[in-house]
Amino acid sequence: MSRWELRGVSAQVGSFEMGPVDLDLAEGEAVAVVGRSGAGKTTLLRAACGLVPLREGVILRDGIDRSTTPPERRGTVFVPQGLGLLPHRTVERNVRYPMELRRTPSASAVVDSLLEEFGLVPFRNRFPGQLSTGQQQRVAVARSLAADPELLLWDEPLSALDVSSRDELLDTLLAVRTRKRIPIVVVTHDASVALSLADRLLLLDAGTVRYSGAVGPLLAAPVDRFAARFLGYENVLSRNALATERTSPFGRWLWDRSGPGGVCFLAAREPRAEDPSQQVWTGTVRRRDLVPGGARLTLAVDGLAIKVFAPFSNGRAEVPGPAQPARFVISERDLKPLGASTDSDS
Amino acid sequence: MHVSLSRRRPSPTSWAGTILSAVLGASLLLLLFLPLYSLFTFAPWSTLVSEGSDAGVQTAIGFTLYASGIAVGLTLVLGVPLGYLLARRNFPGKSIVEAAVTLPLAVPHLIVGLALLFLLAPGTPLGSLADRLGVPVFGTIWGVVLVMVYVSAPYTVFASQIAFRAVDERLLEASRCLGATPSQSFATVTVPLAARGIVSGGLLSWARSVSEIGGFLILAYSVRPSPPYYGPETSPISVYIYNLYQIGTLPGAAAVSSLFLLIAFAIFLAVRLAERAGRLPALPGGFFP
Repeated sequence: MSRWELRGVSAQVGSFEMGPVDLDLAEGEAVAVVGRSGAGKTTLLRAACGLVPLREGVILRDGIDRSTTPPERRGTVFVPQGLGLLPHRTVERNVRYPMELRRTPSASAVVDSLLEEFGLVPFRNRFPGQLSTGQQQRVAVARSLAADPELLLWDEPLSALDVSSRDELLDTLLAVRTRKRIPIVVVTHDASVALSLADRLLLLDAGTVRYSGAVGPLLAAPVDRFAARFLGYENVLSRNALATERTSPFGRWLWDRSGPGGVCFLAAREPRAEDPSQQVWTGTVRRRDLVPGGARLTLAVDGLAIKVFAPFSNGRAEVPGPAQPARFVISERDLKPLGASTDSDS
Repeated sequence: MHVSLSRRRPSPTSWAGTILSAVLGASLLLLLFLPLYSLFTFAPWSTLVSEGSDAGVQTAIGFTLYASGIAVGLTLVLGVPLGYLLARRNFPGKSIVEAAVTLPLAVPHLIVGLALLFLLAPGTPLGSLADRLGVPVFGTIWGVVLVMVYVSAPYTVFASQIAFRAVDERLLEASRCLGATPSQSFATVTVPLAARGIVSGGLLSWARSVSEIGGFLILAYSVRPSPPYYGPETSPISVYIYNLYQIGTLPGAAAVSSLFLLIAFAIFLAVRLAERAGRLPALPGGFFP
């Protein structure tokens, strides 16, 4: 049973400071590190594997301090953005690389089984530049496992992948996590990784932790605009945007229910007969995107842009088009006030 | 008629650009090759054969290849680490070092010879020290090697600097996390990826070494046997050809020049073919596309 603990970890790269970060990882757990560009996500991974020295804090494995253990002996495998495959080595020699370094006996058998497991046998003599992005990702996973990692750190695993390759890699990572019980930390801009792979989320903003915990509570109540957008909230309105519309009834209504960083809510909906008590608002359709089962409308409501879902209900196959008026309601319990964040308040 | 949709027809502007580039490029090729053509055709082939079988010519060519081999080896040993430092490390005065390494390219080569003579002539402190250490410089192979290293080192330094800089640091980081110590990472990632650039630099340095003459005229016009050269008294090939020209043996000068150019061409071709055959890593870095 291995357990990794990051206690008050902080690091500095140039003038950028990251941390302090606390993170616990038990065997088979996965944590997604999310945040805007420049939030310190990659710095956290590089600090965890020893490529960046810690300024403060400790990294423990089963209670033993590994803060100063060099990267090659730390037991952490870091897969950088771009995967770090060696372009002068074939697929087979890339997978064999960690075992060559350690002069592992019976490396060939392990390499063969990894190539087999990840469907790389037909490509074993090809160079990384001759593979598709999806195949390269599989080589990266196989090579990581050849290094016998105790903690896998992956920077943007699904970047630049098409939908089927993403699903395939996500399945592979899930298998690594569940079958091999290797704890994983992934940095991602992709909500699907966070939501399907990770048990917990670590949200970084300008180097500091904005949220650390299970995914569910953050989904229910995003802490800031970044989290709301990342998790798929369609309407994310900043406090500044609301302030300029405070004179209108709709703007005032939202302003009163917003937090210091604004407010977010899922797509508003058209009013139904069963909720006459709700306040009905009206806007003008600026854009209509047809989707299965209806249309996603972007309405101009005073100076605010509001996303509304209009279903093809009751046999109706038409929804309001551009420049037409449309009515909608927002349930008060769907409104999530947001905390302040460091991005430009637009 | 079937027209392939995937092949785009070049626009008139791009046609004009292609033609202009071709005309300008062909002009340069003419400028480069016409003098060589006149050189090759100046002397009859029989002269080439007779000069090629002349012991003095063979000694001079052999000596030049030998000395240039030592010079390139020294340039690589001394220049590649400097290229690495310039590519990967920041230190005070780095720009000054870069400028200083470039300087030999701008110094007229007679002046290189004079400068080395003032520094190392018999009787000077360093010249006396070299004599005592058994590596006399004036009129020996070491004088030739020294001049070669001086005029050619910048090519190796800058080619290896470019090659090292082109190695993605993320590859090194990935290799460290896969179990490589810093020196293993250097040996298994940096060196293979920079090798082509370093080889290119070495080749350019070699070419510059064998084409030198100014420094030799001052420091090693005539080379006497002295370790590690044990052959008869000779001259670097450039000086040898200059002598033939001076005494008015123009067909001989042309024939020996042609012979040496053929050897140089064969060496360049061998390196390129080795690259093609994958015996040298054909990867980013270096001057050659």
